[in-house]
Amino acid sequence: MMSITSNSAPLLTMTIASAILPQLIIAFGITLALLLVAWKRSQRTIAVFSSLILFTALLANVSLLAMPTTQVTQLLKVDGYSRFAFSLILISALVALRMSHSFLKAHIEVHDEYYLLLLLLVLGAGVLVTSDHFASLFLGFELLSLSLVGLVGYHRESNYSVESAFKYLVLSATASSFMLLGIAFIYSVTGDMSFNATTVSAIHHQQGLALFYQLGLLLFVSGIAFKLSIAPFHFWTPDVYQGAPTPVTMLMATISKVAMFVVLLKCIIAQRYWLHDNFQLFLMSFAVISMLLGNVMALKQQHLKRLLAYSSIAHMGYLLIVIIVTSAQSLAFTWQSALFYLAAYTLANLSIFIVIALIQQQNSRVVFQEDILLADLQGLFWRVPSYGLLMLLGLLSLAGIPLTMGFIGKFYILSQATIAHAWWLIATLIIASGISLAYYLPMIFKIFADAPSDRLFDTQKMNGKVKALEGHIIEQVLVYSFIVFGLVFGILPEVINQLIASVSKLAN
Amino acid sequence: MTVTLIMLALVIAGALAWRAETYWQGSAKWLALISLALLATVFAVFVIDYAINHNNDFAQLQVLSRVNWIKTFNIQYSIALDQLSIVLIALTWLLAIICALVSWHEIKRHVGFYYFNLLLTIAGIIGVFVAVDMFLFFFFWEVMLLPMTAIIAIWGHEKKHFAALKFFIFTQVSSLLMLVAIIATGYFHLLQTGQLSFYYLDWLMLDIPLSMSQYLMLGFFIAFAVKLPSVPLHSWLPDAHTQAPTAGSVLLAGVLLKTGAYGLIRFVIFLFPQASTQFAPIAATLAVVSIIYGAKMAFAQQDFKRLVAYSSISHMGFVMLALFAFNSMAYQGAIVTMVAHGLSSAALFSLAGMIYQRIHSRNLADMGGFWQSAPRMGGFALAFAGAAFGLPGLANFIGEFLSLVGVFQVLPEFAVIAALGLIGSAIYGMVLFQSSFQGTPTQDIIDLQPRELIICGSLLLMLLAIGLYPMLLLKFSFGA
Repeated sequence: MMSITSNSAPLLTMTIASAILPQLIIAFGITLALLLVAWKRSQRTIAVFSSLILFTALLANVSLLAMPTTQVTQLLKVDGYSRFAFSLILISALVALRMSHSFLKAHIEVHDEYYLLLLLLVLGAGVLVTSDHFASLFLGFELLSLSLVGLVGYHRESNYSVESAFKYLVLSATASSFMLLGIAFIYSVTGDMSFNATTVSAIHHQQGLALFYQLGLLLFVSGIAFKLSIAPFHFWTPDVYQGAPTPVTMLMATISKVAMFVVLLKCIIAQRYWLHDNFQLFLMSFAVISMLLGNVMALKQQHLKRLLAYSSIAHMGYLLIVIIVTSAQSLAFTWQSALFYLAAYTLANLSIFIVIALIQQQNSRVVFQEDILLADLQGLFWRVPSYGLLMLLGLLSLAGIPLTMGFIGKFYILSQATIAHAWWLIATLIIASGISLAYYLPMIFKIFADAPSDRLFDTQKMNGKVKALEGHIIEQVLVYSFIVFGLVFGILPEVINQLIASVSKLAN
Repeated sequence: MTVTLIMLALVIAGALAWRAETYWQGSAKWLALISLALLATVFAVFVIDYAINHNNDFAQLQVLSRVNWIKTFNIQYSIALDQLSIVLIALTWLLAIICALVSWHEIKRHVGFYYFNLLLTIAGIIGVFVAVDMFLFFFFWEVMLLPMTAIIAIWGHEKKHFAALKFFIFTQVSSLLMLVAIIATGYFHLLQTGQLSFYYLDWLMLDIPLSMSQYLMLGFFIAFAVKLPSVPLHSWLPDAHTQAPTAGSVLLAGVLLKTGAYGLIRFVIFLFPQASTQFAPIAATLAVVSIIYGAKMAFAQQDFKRLVAYSSISHMGFVMLALFAFNSMAYQGAIVTMVAHGLSSAALFSLAGMIYQRIHSRNLADMGGFWQSAPRMGGFALAFAGAAFGLPGLANFIGEFLSLVGVFQVLPEFAVIAALGLIGSAIYGMVLFQSSFQGTPTQDIIDLQPRELIICGSLLLMLLAIGLYPMLLLKFSFGA
């Protein structure tokens, strides 16, 4: 056992500082933002400032992609995988920031806190993806959860928002305490909190200790599974997805999932958990339940965000397969599959939530941006073709149909499962995706159905308000660029593949 | 290269037609028709030119291009042509033009987008017939599915969403099984040769033990049996055909079902000969059941299109039976049946569309005595019904005759039972004709217009040509 401070090497060298530069930028930005709030409370300034911070961090992160793996104290380890994941997180945060802007503008109050919370959330995710130690994992976990609670409950005037924030807070606290207990159990057996602990295999074979260790693992994973909304820890997901403002749901669907999954994979790979049969069995049952339950529950939903919540449960189930079938020989491939799938998942979710947020902006019924009905999608493609197309691409990607990244992601998972001869998991995956089509396709049909003959739209058209329907210029650029990304990466997935491959070469 | 450009040009022409329709109403159909005719000519010229220049009759696969696509999995964009694919692509072109023509007045909403989807489907179908990288094949397999589903779901009849959903889920789930089989074979190649490969010609070299290949074969077989369709995986077909707009039905029956047969030939029988032989009794049983069941169900339908749809199941059963007889005569019979059925079912569905436009019903009970007012239409209907039940002199007769003779040499019991299907087809063919064109006239309808005459005339001409001079197709060996 070595404490962090007794390390003879200097705590902060240039290499270390540059390795965590993006995180440092965010942290520094948060401090500056606090000062900025004291100096001038202006919606515009803080929004521009936060996006500047995020953008700088993204630039720093991308320029550092090629940097070799660096251990930053015992707590953090920055490698190519974490940088790739952090890029995804920063991009999602930028998009969510932009989408929040217009809905926050609708209220007279100045919402500096919202932006602060968002930056804190990103920092938490940044710590998570780089963490190499249970302590930093817990730190990032809590930072992420607490800022999310604040964001979910941001509209205190809205009943739903408060309800879902409470739900999230209580369940999240429970999950973290489970996780803490699990970490304590693991620590009690291994005597080390670092991921890289060389767990002596002899320990696991001692009857009592092994059981204790596995119990710890189970508790630890259930904490993370809560965040990933993997069944049977998914109960909060539909309510919170539905009650939170759309940009916050977007954050939850992208940042929180990416960060949590990356840290889970990191931890599992470092500790070689796959050696434990019981543990694998648990993961397998989680995956199977998630895949089937998520898709079956999504079938009858009439609310779009609720439906997406259930579909996210199913997707996390698909992704768990990657972890279950991993083996010592295929670690690089595991990372590649997981990161590609996460990238595809993020892109699809961002696309869909952008459209939802934009629809909500035009819809005066939903002041607090809670949820929209599936019926609101009616004829979207004919009303605003660009939104319809983006939504279509997002849905096809989630459904895993070729021409989209989602298909390549599924191809990765299927390849891995095939190599590992996990036929039962493959069978479940196929059945689950069959079920999922039964709700993705009707949504697509809705988008292409004839536009509802509501007078609103016609009068809008007559009054020349169609321009307003298309949204702000930045949002338009966002919509079109996501359409292009979706198509390009879908047809030429090699771009992303090469990126991940080059990143993984550095990691090994 | 040329074939790639043709597919690209189809997509671009579709997009152009879509845009153009918003500026000049009625331009999309002309654009689509002209581009189809033009590209079909380009294709024909290319094939003939290639055959002369390389002094090659396409008996073997001619690889046209091979470019790296997804390096991580060693997936290439590789396309090739042989006699089988050329014949099927030619059929696709012909029916594509027919489709553009039958939709002329039928499609009134979102016309531009309709033709975009139509051309995209054609591009996808051509892709399926030329792809020799399995991943690419799967890619095109799905690309043709998406716009086809859109055609059913947007422009279909009253229960269109249900039909489109059923069609899509059946195909998608079965093709995921195929995807797993593709991946597994690719990794088997990795195990055996040290390199991951999805290249068809590499796979032909593989020596897969029977214990494994039987499962792989099954993965492919299920996907193609759904598309064919064979009992018990056929239930999407009557719905999809009935609810689709006319062009959708024509394309579905004419070409999409043939992709299933094509897949069976290329990827089941040629890739896994041993496993297929072992599986033949089951496949042949399914085929015979399909033949009898399809004929029986067709006979009981009251809906014109549904009747033709069930007859398709029956006819495609002949194709499957002939393929699993592993006999060169039966094999040729299967290919002639594929082409003949493509033509005759397309013709019947076009007729159904024409009648629907006139009386707004597909129900046979609403029809009757049309011969009085529309004798030319009646004549064509009689000829096409005759083709469907295998009247000598028309293409279907040649196909079914050769299939049955071929099958009889190998599996005589099956051939005997399958021949009963011919009687069934005569019954439902006559039911179809009698209840629509004979009897007391219910109402007067307008006879065929020049555009419709072109459609029916060209299809009948092709049926007659193959029927009277089958060497048109039989002179090719199709790689048997």
